Amino acid sequence: MVADVHLDASKVPGSFHSTTLTPALELLNVRRSFGKTQALQGIDLRVESGQRLALLGPNGAGKTTLVRAICGRIRIDQGEIKIFGESVIKASTLDQLGVVPQDLAIYGDLTTLENLRAFGRLHGLTGKELRFRVDWALEWIGLEDRKHHLTKSFSGGMKRRVNIACGVLHRPKVLVLDEPTVGVDPQSRHRIFEMLDELSAGGTTIILTTHHLDEAQSQCDRIVIIDHGQVIADGAIADLIEHTVGSERQVHLRIEGFLTASIPNLEWDPSREIFIAAVNDPAEELPCLLQRIRLCGGSVVDLEMHQPNLHDVFIHLTGRELRE
Amino acid sequence: MIRTIIHISFLRLWHNKAELLLTFIVPILFFSIFAWIFGSRGNSGATPQLKVVACDEIGSLLTQRTREILEASGSLRFHRMDKSLATSPKAVSREAAESLVRRGLVSAAIVFSSSPSDPSTETPLPTVEIMADSFDQVASQVIVAFVQKASMTAQAEFAHQNASNTIRMQQQPTQAGFLEDGREAQTLSNLTPDETLAVKAAAMSSSQQAMTTSETLSGNLSSISIPQITVIDVLGTNKTNPVVAMYAAGIAVMFLLFSATTASGAILEERENSTLERLLCSRMTMDHLLMGKWCYLVMIGCLQTTLMFTAGWLFFGLNLFGHLDGFAVMTLVTAGAAASFALMMAAMCKTRTQLGWVSTILILSMSALGGSMVPRYLMSETIQSVGQFTFNAWALDGYNKIFWRELPLTELKTELGVLVTCSFVFIVLARIFATRWDRV
Repeated sequence: MVADVHLDASKVPGSFHSTTLTPALELLNVRRSFGKTQALQGIDLRVESGQRLALLGPNGAGKTTLVRAICGRIRIDQGEIKIFGESVIKASTLDQLGVVPQDLAIYGDLTTLENLRAFGRLHGLTGKELRFRVDWALEWIGLEDRKHHLTKSFSGGMKRRVNIACGVLHRPKVLVLDEPTVGVDPQSRHRIFEMLDELSAGGTTIILTTHHLDEAQSQCDRIVIIDHGQVIADGAIADLIEHTVGSERQVHLRIEGFLTASIPNLEWDPSREIFIAAVNDPAEELPCLLQRIRLCGGSVVDLEMHQPNLHDVFIHLTGRELRE
Repeated sequence: MIRTIIHISFLRLWHNKAELLLTFIVPILFFSIFAWIFGSRGNSGATPQLKVVACDEIGSLLTQRTREILEASGSLRFHRMDKSLATSPKAVSREAAESLVRRGLVSAAIVFSSSPSDPSTETPLPTVEIMADSFDQVASQVIVAFVQKASMTAQAEFAHQNASNTIRMQQQPTQAGFLEDGREAQTLSNLTPDETLAVKAAAMSSSQQAMTTSETLSGNLSSISIPQITVIDVLGTNKTNPVVAMYAAGIAVMFLLFSATTASGAILEERENSTLERLLCSRMTMDHLLMGKWCYLVMIGCLQTTLMFTAGWLFFGLNLFGHLDGFAVMTLVTAGAAASFALMMAAMCKTRTQLGWVSTILILSMSALGGSMVPRYLMSETIQSVGQFTFNAWALDGYNKIFWRELPLTELKTELGVLVTCSFVFIVLARIFATRWDRV
């Protein structure tokens, strides 16, 4: 199924648009092509200071290109990218930006302390400020006791924490994280999100790309879905659900026998071979539905109640077809 | 199970083209390179021409002829100071000839000087001094053999000529008594018995004279003697261990290249794990990154070479501290060029594996051609010329000038110039190749 609902970010109820303050990140009609492939087709995005934004999209949708454009790592053919009103290609602007790549972009043959010092210096920290920030980072990631250990000897979760710390040492106002929880256990994931909560509480704008839709839903207050190089949905999760799949709960039913008559609000889904009904108030509507099915000659053998979530929105907008 | 493992291994090999190349193509490539380097001498069927200079302090006919024979041999190439003076026997002074040997412009100088034992003879037998550069350990022996041969040939020619002259002088009056055009029999039949007896007596006298001629010739040939040849090592005599000075540079340059390319591979590793991306998201630019890596590689290269030469000084008596200025300059410039070369290689390659095998092939080939493995004087002239296009040849020449020839820094202008140019060109190429990692 191809996405058939295109939401304009500015029209999404609940979106955090403000015209008075300078946005933390602003993308205006950003376009970029690679040969005949249009990776970004006029992206407009405005992220306010302190927001936690999840950038979602299927593989090949243009997420990586967009993130690299935000970090100033690729030239854009058209449009403008600004961080706090300054063009991203300025060296001074890059100091306001923190980047945490998906890969473990740290030196495995350096200790935690040496890694932190090295990346701190690269972002212009020196002397007391550097020492203070490194000490803070070691405490923040909970690796003070392992500061003299080579990072290659660490577990995946520990490496991920060091990876994040290296990106935030210089106190960036905008932090871009590319799938920061790939390959880590639930405990480490929980710790990483606690760390992000702390940064967010300190006013850092967080832009997170992930394929874990539950993470995006629980950790971010704004969702942006891009596909084919365009923003196809932008807003708070509740608003997106409302405007795409609807907020009604879905009841999935397996019925034995033939229904002698059609029942209002009960639809057959041939792909999954189940009946689907939408209900607003399950306590009131569900008994009536089951009564009607029985009266029409059917027998309910299985019933599943499903509350619409980001996964439904995502599939609704981007379809079920396999991508790259 | 074993069959499955073999099958999987073959499939993996087939899909890994780099490994496939390393396994089957690279050995053939290497064999071809080495066969070309060392096999080409066999094709020419001769040793490479040795560059020599002649200093004729006698200027006799014998020494001039010896020189002519040497020049005609084709195995020696004579250095000409000035074409206009080339015909003059004393065109090159002993001092100038020695200087040419010291500067490595010729393999040896052939000095013909008067024999102190018998200076009064008409064609005095010269004393030949071969002022050799023992850097080329084969050349002096070959030149001695050639000089011996040429000198004896020249002596034989003169002996033959002298004998011929003597015979001609002895035969001159007798020949008048002979009749021309084989008309002897016809004429004899027409002579009276007294006249016939007179002619026969003359013929007998002629036969006796022929016997005297033969004795004259043998007498002249027996005067041919082996010339007195002295080989003087103008460079190696005062050195504690001349071989170390020669090979330290060769090995140092080869390992400098290997260690630099291995270290430069870090940039590919950084690209693979996105560290490069993160670095370039900071204040750092690609120029900063390349210069930082270049400086690091130069420092490591200088340290590595210094350690190696220090070990040469400690364990093999290499005179490092006597040539500290030349060593410092040469090491800095060589390490710079090696660092640039390594970064260019890293920027050209896509993966560390690719860098590994491409650089191994290149470095081993350059080392073989450039003289790091086998002295270049053992190679044919064509290969020696090809060797000039390698990085190693210039670096080795520079180190040899310092440690072997003990020349001043001013004599290193060419080598330093070439290496600095290489350094600049390689780093510029590295920057050009690295644009693919830059902001695209």
